[in-house]
Amino acid sequence: MRARSFSVPWFTVLNVIQLTIAGIVVITPTLWMVLSSFKPSFEVTAYPPTLIFSPTLENYASLSQTTPFLHYAFNSVLVTVSSTLIGILLGAPAAFVVSWTRITWPAIVSLVARMAPGTLFLLPWYVMFRHFDMIGSYWSLILTHAVITLPIVLWVMLPFFDGIPRSVIEAAQIDGCGPIKIFRRIAVPLVSTGIAVASILAFVFSWNYFLFALVLSNAQTKTLVAASFNFIGEGATNWGGLMAAATLIALPPLILAVVVQRWLVSGLTLGAVKG
Amino acid sequence: MASISLRKLVKKFGELTVIPDLDLEIPDREFVVLVGPSGCGKSTLLRILAGLETIDGGEVMIGEERVNGVPAAKRDIAMVFQDYALYPHMTVRQNMAFALENKGADKAEIERRITEASRLLDIGDYLDRRPKALSGGQRQRVAMGRAIVRDPKVFLFDEPLSNLDAKLRAAVRAEIKALAQKIRTTMVFVTHDQIEAMTMADRIVVMKAGVIQQVGKPEEIYERPVNMFVAGFIGSPAMNFFPVTVEGDDLRLQTGDTVPGHAVPGFATLSAGQDRQIVLGIRPEHLDGAGEGKGEGVPITVDLVEPLGSDTLIHFTLGDVAAIARVSPDLRLAPGDRVSLVPAPGKARLFDAESGKAIQ
Repeated sequence: MRARSFSVPWFTVLNVIQLTIAGIVVITPTLWMVLSSFKPSFEVTAYPPTLIFSPTLENYASLSQTTPFLHYAFNSVLVTVSSTLIGILLGAPAAFVVSWTRITWPAIVSLVARMAPGTLFLLPWYVMFRHFDMIGSYWSLILTHAVITLPIVLWVMLPFFDGIPRSVIEAAQIDGCGPIKIFRRIAVPLVSTGIAVASILAFVFSWNYFLFALVLSNAQTKTLVAASFNFIGEGATNWGGLMAAATLIALPPLILAVVVQRWLVSGLTLGAVKG
Repeated sequence: MASISLRKLVKKFGELTVIPDLDLEIPDREFVVLVGPSGCGKSTLLRILAGLETIDGGEVMIGEERVNGVPAAKRDIAMVFQDYALYPHMTVRQNMAFALENKGADKAEIERRITEASRLLDIGDYLDRRPKALSGGQRQRVAMGRAIVRDPKVFLFDEPLSNLDAKLRAAVRAEIKALAQKIRTTMVFVTHDQIEAMTMADRIVVMKAGVIQQVGKPEEIYERPVNMFVAGFIGSPAMNFFPVTVEGDDLRLQTGDTVPGHAVPGFATLSAGQDRQIVLGIRPEHLDGAGEGKGEGVPITVDLVEPLGSDTLIHFTLGDVAAIARVSPDLRLAPGDRVSLVPAPGKARLFDAESGKAIQ
């Protein structure tokens, strides 16, 4: 009893310290980014950093004046939503088949593809898309981003499909359903949480992906993340503008994450436990 | 409605052969129970009938149609699963309508069949509930309802009562039997519970290690088991087996006590002094407690008493064999009491100890 009554507060204190350190590590750059976006350009790189300053919106105002910011935002939404949709449309049935047949090698291959550095694909893709005259097209971006989203969807969905009792699928077989109908009428409605979780994660990863957009887009099809690179010049970097752009770019995933936070966490663990 | 015929059936899982060579004929409208211990291949056999497992040899016929390779969806059979396997996201009504919709039945017909089935199973009050909001017994009925509305050629049941508590199990057992008598469709029921098998079946198929041991009416299996496995598996408590030797007109037990041979069927075929090891099988209910000092029967000492109300189980040891007798509660026996047990004439069985086969 004695040991227990002492150990619990210590454990709690340690926990709080750990979380605080983790929090600081995560929050500091974000905070620095947001604060800098409200500072005049010369103050961003001032040393020591200023914490008290008169905030300005000039960086934000200049964004839309100096760059086609809204057009880039449209590009980002188009590429992200399309690649997420492709990821779901191909990844969810793939996950269902892997879960049902227990043939796991396609999932492993997709995981390896996801874990390999993007630069590995970049050169062959560049050559390929150039051959088809597709450099700078939306399709080249959407298709390459689908390579990011598809493995995410596949691996997030797997435990959800594993969680469906096999007998339920077998009952549907006996009730006269073919594989496609089983997927559509039985499996998909039972993993709707999983689809939501997978969509959000795929969206965030695709939205934030920098490399493919940098190389395969042109001035017309640049996504926000790639376009923000414009602020880094050879001689001088427009830190204020870069931070304002970065803040705006970070907003959609951030809002999405906060809104669905509880759901996201419970959804991720639910699928795992059920299996 | 259809007969079922399995010919030279072989089923393997990788290197493991679970059904080496099986033949079985099930006539139209018969209620057959497949029974056996875990891993005997009974569920696999049912799943083969359903089309959920492929076969490695032989032939499966449903009615006149050879269904090897025909997918489950096209076999027109219905199956009730152990865990009910209701569609969690559909209401009871939708669960029942699903198969009919897949068949393309019209709405009025679907509604008529659901109404009829729900009246038969008394589930009309919760047609609009989801399975989650139902008790185990209710789910069980919905699972049956889902099968009934289909009006299939064959009903398959895969241990559907094993998730119910004892009281409910007895009630649902009776319901299924009543239902079977009403709808008169070919039914195959898998269980490891020999009481379910005895009470429900028109015919019982006893299986062990993928091999059919005996097929017969419940009373036939109970009274004339073909081997020691069937004798021991069917009946509760299980049949007692005592090693015996033939001595003149009697069978001599390990303890030196004798049982008159004329009371045991098959005794006439034995000859005294032969080398063959013989086992005498007597069911607990066929041992009458004659009370102490009646002179007749085999004297034993009571080790343990289990009063069941209607009768009493007494545990005793004869030689090195632990055994049970079902006696009248009026004997009022206690551990340590001496009592003589008399085998009921004509009820004991003889088995060859080596092969386990019954000596007829």
